[in-house]
Amino acid sequence: MLMVPLAINAQKAEDIFRAAGSPHNPKVQISFNKYYTAEGLAAISKKIAEAHPNLVRRESIGKSTEGRDIWMMAITNYKVGDADRKPGFYIDGNIHSNEIQGAEISTYTAWYLTENFGDVDYVTNMLNDRIFYIVPTINPDARNNYMKEANTGSSPRAGMIPLDDDRDGLFDEDGLEDLDGDGSVTRMRRKNPNGNMIVDPKDPRMMIQIGPDDIVTTQRYEFLGSEGIDNDGDGLVNEDRPGYYDPNRDWAWKWQPDYIQRGAYKYPFSAPETRAVADFVLKHPNIAGAQSFHNSGGMILRGPGAEEDASTYNRADVAIYDAIGKKGEKMLPGYRYMVVYKDLYSVFGGELDWFYGGRGIYTFTNEIFSSFAYYKTKDRDPNQMYNFEKDLLMGDAFTEWKPYNHPTYGEIEIGGFRKNIGRATPGFMLEEELHRNMAFTFYHAFHMPLLSIDSIKEKKLGGGLTEVTAYIKNSRLMPTHASQDLKYNITRPDYISIKGAKVVAGMIVTNEDFGVTEEQKTNPETLRVRNIPGNSIVKVRWIIKGNSSYTITVDSEKGGIVSSK
Amino acid sequence: MFKTNQSLFKLFWICMCLVSVNVFAQSDYRNNNELTNALKQLKSKHSANVKLQSLTKTIGGHDIWALTLFKGKPEDNPAIAIVGGVDGSLLLSREMAVNIAENILTNHKDVLDNTTFYIFPNMSPNASEQYFSKLKYHKLGNAKKTDDDRDGLTNEDTFEDLNNDGLITLIRVEDVTGNYIKLKEDERVMIKANPQEGELGTHKVFSEGIDNDKDGKYNEDGDGGVHFNKNLTYNFPYFQPGAGEHAVSEKEHRALLDFLYEQWNIYAILTLGPENNLSNPLKYNAANARKRVVASILKDDEALNKFLSKKYTKITGTKDAPNANGKGGDFFEWSYFHFGKLAMSTPGWWAPKFKGDSTIKAKKNYKANFLQWAEAEDLSNYFVDWKEVNHPDFPNKKVEVGGIAPFVMTNPPYSMVEDISKKHTDFVLEISKMQPNISIENVTTEKVDNGLTRVTLNIHNKGLLPTHTEMGKRSRWLRRIKVDVKLDKSQEVISGKKIQLINSIDGDSSEELTWLIKGKGSLTIEAGAAHTGADKTTINLK
Repeated sequence: MLMVPLAINAQKAEDIFRAAGSPHNPKVQISFNKYYTAEGLAAISKKIAEAHPNLVRRESIGKSTEGRDIWMMAITNYKVGDADRKPGFYIDGNIHSNEIQGAEISTYTAWYLTENFGDVDYVTNMLNDRIFYIVPTINPDARNNYMKEANTGSSPRAGMIPLDDDRDGLFDEDGLEDLDGDGSVTRMRRKNPNGNMIVDPKDPRMMIQIGPDDIVTTQRYEFLGSEGIDNDGDGLVNEDRPGYYDPNRDWAWKWQPDYIQRGAYKYPFSAPETRAVADFVLKHPNIAGAQSFHNSGGMILRGPGAEEDASTYNRADVAIYDAIGKKGEKMLPGYRYMVVYKDLYSVFGGELDWFYGGRGIYTFTNEIFSSFAYYKTKDRDPNQMYNFEKDLLMGDAFTEWKPYNHPTYGEIEIGGFRKNIGRATPGFMLEEELHRNMAFTFYHAFHMPLLSIDSIKEKKLGGGLTEVTAYIKNSRLMPTHASQDLKYNITRPDYISIKGAKVVAGMIVTNEDFGVTEEQKTNPETLRVRNIPGNSIVKVRWIIKGNSSYTITVDSEKGGIVSSK
Repeated sequence: MFKTNQSLFKLFWICMCLVSVNVFAQSDYRNNNELTNALKQLKSKHSANVKLQSLTKTIGGHDIWALTLFKGKPEDNPAIAIVGGVDGSLLLSREMAVNIAENILTNHKDVLDNTTFYIFPNMSPNASEQYFSKLKYHKLGNAKKTDDDRDGLTNEDTFEDLNNDGLITLIRVEDVTGNYIKLKEDERVMIKANPQEGELGTHKVFSEGIDNDKDGKYNEDGDGGVHFNKNLTYNFPYFQPGAGEHAVSEKEHRALLDFLYEQWNIYAILTLGPENNLSNPLKYNAANARKRVVASILKDDEALNKFLSKKYTKITGTKDAPNANGKGGDFFEWSYFHFGKLAMSTPGWWAPKFKGDSTIKAKKNYKANFLQWAEAEDLSNYFVDWKEVNHPDFPNKKVEVGGIAPFVMTNPPYSMVEDISKKHTDFVLEISKMQPNISIENVTTEKVDNGLTRVTLNIHNKGLLPTHTEMGKRSRWLRRIKVDVKLDKSQEVISGKKIQLINSIDGDSSEELTWLIKGKGSLTIEAGAAHTGADKTTINLK
């Protein structure tokens, strides 16, 4: 489908009736009821970039372990302003190999922005004022491994650097096997007169645990774990799989080694993929908001990741997170807004922690998909996945139990859910999931600082001197500096400068009514303002001499550049 | 013809250089080029036992050298890593690292039968070169452009040599708002006034320079760079000057760590740096050791540290070492807390205490005491006498420049370097004698019944040092001791494990293992790990 020329895919406008909220005759046709490999994603982003040259710059931010490019789309209206000086919003997906939807959300977002630009004012304004840096997969190697190799729905989580998990001197010597060749690693069971499981007489896909008082008259079974064999003859099955390190324990804020934080690799950014992202972010101090996508569980997560780091988040910033997170709960039915260390687990070295703790960027991680989606209800039914698989997927996601002769275990049976159910959103629900998550990131991106020079007042002081007061407005929720940023001076102060006038003195007005100001004695032409808070006005003042005309410019790393004319 | 001439000409100069090295005793610390040449000479003189490689070139364009001393294959023996120049102002550490290598190769080559050495003489080549430049001051950073005071401007306020002596010392400004006073027992030394003692400040004290950016701070943002010893992961000092934007942000850090992480045979790391757990062993704190983010040496390792410290003090004859703990982001603490190796660190030298005699009383203040020692040793140029200068920031005040010269308090006179290096070589040799050493002992075979043999043996650590520090048992970067029963197809393990992993074995301790094996003929059992040494034995089944 990707190889078909664009012209054939674009249908005639008169044959189409627009469904509200979706590009109805896009330049690039993409099916959003399936998943794409790393190469599939790369081909799509290339198409989007080629179809929208004024909106998209596509570049590789680095190479993966196996040498794949990590593709990034920088999306903004390149005809307005200086692209990399606009407030930036960073999005990535797929840091965990098997948690694949983020790549499709990212791709959908890029597609939606580019195809709706010029048609939907909200999108047009967004791309005039902001830039989106979108990296669909920051783990292309292991994404492919998940899709193409022997895996369960939960493997691999790591990237592809081989590691010696059992400290025996061998690397990745005993991984999973797809013994029955169904494309997934399912489960192994064996008939055993003393086993503690039986087949559910009402549904042969299911196994029932035997209780202590049960009288069993049917065949008993035991489970033998995930499909695989003991490759290295050490008496253990599947104990040293590809990896294991966790790319989401590889980030620099309060990084801890593996013995403290399982999954850490050598040092912060020791995996090439995370390093590429970190280097990109360090070079783009305009990034003010960020989003990473995982699965699953239906969560909108913020930091802190670790209990030990609780004090990093103060009240002012928590209020901003809460406003966005709670909106997200409404936009994403079945999702809950949660704090990682309190509501999930206490963990060091996560991506969102470095973005916020290390760079002062407001960041969320969404865990895509939850069991809520099966029947759109919060009521938990232990059999719902089996029912859903039968009722709505027509039995497409389960491998029936079949006999197999195992080299160690002898006659066994293999069967179970395939890897594309449980975590990955089923096809028919995927587009909605992508859209809702995108809308959440738009709400977040909308509330990055938006600066303007609201007004300028002049007052003659006599003696040829004029007092010029400028009112600098931030009309969105986020400040130009998060409180973490202010605590450590992560990004430089905002510069508010006057050009063209002879400046005698310059000051920040802290109380206009009572005339309280703080004078800046050196270089008063460029006032250094620590922060322009959200939904508020900062006042600055100069005493100038003479009547020349002047320009006032606000230059903020995260708030962008605006000038009076 | 011309070519031949040129070669002869070159040869002549090479000979001249070699001659000059041999004839003239070195009188001052060697710069990077001289040290690099020394490394290359070691390589050419002992080519069978030396590997010299550049791990990376820093952004300042300097090579980070790794010198491997070995016999056979480097990875076949347990190894000690020696790391110098973690602090660019400690010139001694670079010299010692090279001298230890030279001593081993020249006088103790037999140690290479059992131990491999990985030596990294200088991790701060950009910083250490400051000593050899026109303007001398303690520089710690690499060539990365950094905004040390995080104000948005880079390198906007650096030092100035106000008295043109080529040294950055101090300025003192007579000002009642200042909170410094002259030390009573030696007025050359400035100390903070203590109001509790009824002292009123008389001076302001800054480092030598002017306030270029008029922010009230002196020399707070010069060509700082990232300090090697402040950019590692343990207790990383976020956003402090010299720390870098995140831990392990620099090429030399990544190159060294990547190298170390791949040398599975390393059991010990000796840091030649400011921290000193060889004179003052780390102390165990139960509460801090129990925390998830471990903040104390572990109990067994405390005992080990004490043991090593005793050896060090005896062999080097050192005493009165000032306390020198890690300040966060340093290499020594990383090597223990995050890498889990047997971690040792020493600056190698500190100014000995001046004890005084019947005529001269020893002064208590550390700096004043140092000045007494320097005088007694007849050192030259160790103090810059206070001299009045005109200072643009203080037009109407008395401003003087002076103070203890840079480098002299932390680096010994060059004449002492050889002896210090020799003693530290002896200490390193002692460590290698005690290293973990796995052997298979007391092998017994019993016939149980037809074709069934019981094999029992001890996996023994002949070394005095444990195979794993207590921290190392937790680290994924130290392998377990692997015991592998190599069978042929007709043989089968009936009881016991074909492959088993032992977490650790203490010094001079052993673990008994036993198997029931079915079959005939002979088989081999191998035991060991890269950093513990290995052994194997052949068993004839009964």
